[in-house]
Amino acid sequence: MAELTFTPVIGIEIHIRLKSDSKLFCSCSTNTDAPANTNICPVCMGLPGTLPHLNHRIVEQGMLAGFALNCGIRHKSLFFRKSYFYPDLPKGHQVSQCDLPITTSGYIEVHDSEGKLKKIRVHHLHLEEDVGSLHHSASDGRLEGAATSYVDYNRSGTPLAEIVSEPDVSSAKEAVEYVMTLRRRVIYSGASDVELEKGMMRFDANVSMKCSDGRWGKKVEVKNMNSFKALEHAIEFEIKRQKKIMLQGGEVKQETRHWNDAKGITSSSRVKESYRKFIVEPDLPPLYISQEWIDRVASRMPEMPDVRANRYVNDWEIPQEVADVLTDDKNLADYFESCVSSGANPVRAAHWVRTEVLRVLNEKGQKIADFSIKPEVLAGLVKRVDEGKLSTTQGKEVFDYMCANNSGIDDSVKALGITEGGIAGNALNDIIASVIAANPDVLDEIKSGRDKKGKKLKFLQGLVMKETKGQAKPQEVAEAIAEAVK
Amino acid sequence: MELYELNLHILIEGLKAKKFSPAEIFQSCKKRIDQCEENIHAFITRTDDKPQSIENPNGLLAGIPTVLKDNLCTKGIRTTAASKILGNWKPPYNATAWEKLRSAGAVLMGKVNMDEFAMGNTCGNSAFGPTHNPNDISRVPGGSSGGSAAAVSAGYVPFSLGSDTGGSIRQPASFCGVYGFKPTYGMVSRYGLISYGSSLDQIGPFARTVQDLQLIMSIISGHDPMDSSSFRNKDHDFTHSEDVSIKGKRIAVVKEFRDFTLDAPISDAIKRTIKILEDEGAIITEVSLPVVAKYAVACYYALAMSEAHTNLERYDGVRLGYTVKDAAGIKEMFERVRSYGFGAEVKARIIAGTCLTEPSRCEEYYVAATKVRTLIAQEFSRAFGETDFILQPVTPSLPGKIGENDEDALKGYEADLYTLPVNLAGLPGLSFFTGYSGNLPVGLQLIGPRWSDVSMLDTGVILERHLGSPKIANGGVK
Ligand SMILES: [Zn+2]
Repeated sequence: MAELTFTPVIGIEIHIRLKSDSKLFCSCSTNTDAPANTNICPVCMGLPGTLPHLNHRIVEQGMLAGFALNCGIRHKSLFFRKSYFYPDLPKGHQVSQCDLPITTSGYIEVHDSEGKLKKIRVHHLHLEEDVGSLHHSASDGRLEGAATSYVDYNRSGTPLAEIVSEPDVSSAKEAVEYVMTLRRRVIYSGASDVELEKGMMRFDANVSMKCSDGRWGKKVEVKNMNSFKALEHAIEFEIKRQKKIMLQGGEVKQETRHWNDAKGITSSSRVKESYRKFIVEPDLPPLYISQEWIDRVASRMPEMPDVRANRYVNDWEIPQEVADVLTDDKNLADYFESCVSSGANPVRAAHWVRTEVLRVLNEKGQKIADFSIKPEVLAGLVKRVDEGKLSTTQGKEVFDYMCANNSGIDDSVKALGITEGGIAGNALNDIIASVIAANPDVLDEIKSGRDKKGKKLKFLQGLVMKETKGQAKPQEVAEAIAEAVK
Repeated sequence: MELYELNLHILIEGLKAKKFSPAEIFQSCKKRIDQCEENIHAFITRTDDKPQSIENPNGLLAGIPTVLKDNLCTKGIRTTAASKILGNWKPPYNATAWEKLRSAGAVLMGKVNMDEFAMGNTCGNSAFGPTHNPNDISRVPGGSSGGSAAAVSAGYVPFSLGSDTGGSIRQPASFCGVYGFKPTYGMVSRYGLISYGSSLDQIGPFARTVQDLQLIMSIISGHDPMDSSSFRNKDHDFTHSEDVSIKGKRIAVVKEFRDFTLDAPISDAIKRTIKILEDEGAIITEVSLPVVAKYAVACYYALAMSEAHTNLERYDGVRLGYTVKDAAGIKEMFERVRSYGFGAEVKARIIAGTCLTEPSRCEEYYVAATKVRTLIAQEFSRAFGETDFILQPVTPSLPGKIGENDEDALKGYEADLYTLPVNLAGLPGLSFFTGYSGNLPVGLQLIGPRWSDVSMLDTGVILERHLGSPKIANGGVK
């Protein structure tokens, strides 16, 4: 009997918080870190009589995110009411574009198991409002069984983009690459900062298994993943779980499962998903987007990271690997390009940013935006090394000193006692003279011809090099000492 | 003559000429309320315990008393929508329409009765008990804005606001013998109106003359950024003029309604009104509205209930209103709050709305109704290519006795046929007084194309000139 093989069939739903100062349907601040229930108003509290009014700047954020996923924009989209009861949902329905979204389909490219490029199709992106957040007194932090629960509506009405993929993902690894690439592109577009630690990106995955004997497992919806790791592990867990059931001849149950990050398992959701019905949101007219508006927003789209990396490789002959690292973070790539436009050699600047700047950022746990050395300053330093005014070692010393002391190049050079362009000529002769003067017995030995192997000369050379802090060329030092002891 | 008997524009003129003061008007109206309220029971919440400060002493309505239907939010003043579920809720904001009246100097005497969440046409379906018709207190005032109509009819206030989702302004205006105007959808901001059927709801005024309706419309209409369905870039001048004409205007009756049975005083009123219109030079024609006649009622209830059940999802006991403290869990809390808080008719409509939009039936009912609605709107716009206005009854019968229709909900639904197509198509509708049959007033209705509000009210001025203005009802006082 041939061994059974299994192919995972995975679709991913992503919620991303769009960047905006104000909420989707009211003018409250989107700052969710504020004290509980301070950024609220009658509208986002869903008070009787209130009506939503659409924030058009967020529509543009949605369009930008759509462009980042290679989606088209619909000229007409609608908002719907997605009904269910939950205490964090003030109106008892969520206003969402679920049935006629702002974008058409798109795609994101990932590498398959053989390293070949593969398109993960994006079914659509739609706009919707977020719900409030619950804080429970129960030990497991869940609503069921909690003696007291508190609701904070600061998040209620903040803008979300929901991105739904086709079931084109075949492994946890592909899933992670899909969401990482997607995140990078969305950040590039300016639609969102997608700060993971702030919960700005949340994942659900639909996982089912296709068996080589023709069996298809039922679809299982896995919820509650808030990090790349959680997504990866949840999918891996679910693939293993479903495979085991199917190998034993069992049937995978169609259900919603909850990812428990602490335990590293999925478990059947205790709360039954109530069915949802959609009616058109009668308080919001259809969202009409003219071609002119689309074009205007499209003109704001920056170069996407892969295109940018290719430009570095083709125009500046930067190695692909370095180009990928630089373009991973838009701000880092912007920083690097500022260095280049300030006159630094692209290849050298790339190298400096890739090794030195990233090293310091890692050490300090900083972001490039907070980095103390401005790109035009780094460009100056790179240039000085390039022109031989500073050796590579000196350049790095100056760089570290600047980072540590928040000082400029000249001040750092001075503080480190570096003489730019090295020590030669009279300066070198003065040092040699003082070294010789301090060692009269050595001079005697040389002059009397007893230093047959030249050991004493080498000794003097060493002292002089030490005195110049390595800033003189050894050849010149040797010649000058030979001259001085004649 | 007492001050409470004076119509709005007369009061404004008198105040301007310093014939009397806002305090005297307030006292007169308060006295009238004290005199009749026991019989009429129009109020849910009275705010006339002491004279209120006038927001804008130089405003057009400075010192003019008014009442609001209790589904209009009033900052710091209990707003119930006639439901137990809102408990003692005091909104933290004012409805835009009220804010505009307040800014013009109007003084609030209280919040008045209605059918719970505007669901009903008798004003008997209220958690606070029924309101009585001031013309005959054994009869219903109509609904759902029954309190607003009764208050104006009984002389409590010279004007009031109500809301109309399927006839809720026009029908009680007709039953109580006042003028009631349902503006074009989008003419008046709905912000702060507790929603029933959002795509059908519209706020409008009640008054005892058409001129007074015009005055209030000039204040409450206009774009509001808080209501995305309120109109933009349209100029409507509601200034009153006696120098208006309907010479050459086409006014139609609906062919399909011709054979329907009407109470005799209503069909007589139609004949008299047609005669007046002809004498004024109007051309009387006929239009055909077959889809409206056949499908409007079903379509209306499918849409109204579908929207209503989602509008009412927010009443869960978490943030405001009635709640329970000892529920075993969140599910039990929702169930108990909603089971106790909503009245029977509201629950029936929530259940109906839930069924109509349930995934397996949604296409067949809700989606189908939205398509029928488009057909109805198209049918009206074709009809208004052939006529300027349509003249028709508001209801097929005069107001019934309180409690009479309670058992037969469907009969109540059918009685809305003349009013609710107007809401489906977003049209303006004027309920006007034509005279009395015994002690009961008889009203009729004028319907026009969208944004014809100004010329419709002008036509109302002409009709009022010939038909006469209503008297203040006796309010059950011998
Ligand atoms: Zn808000």
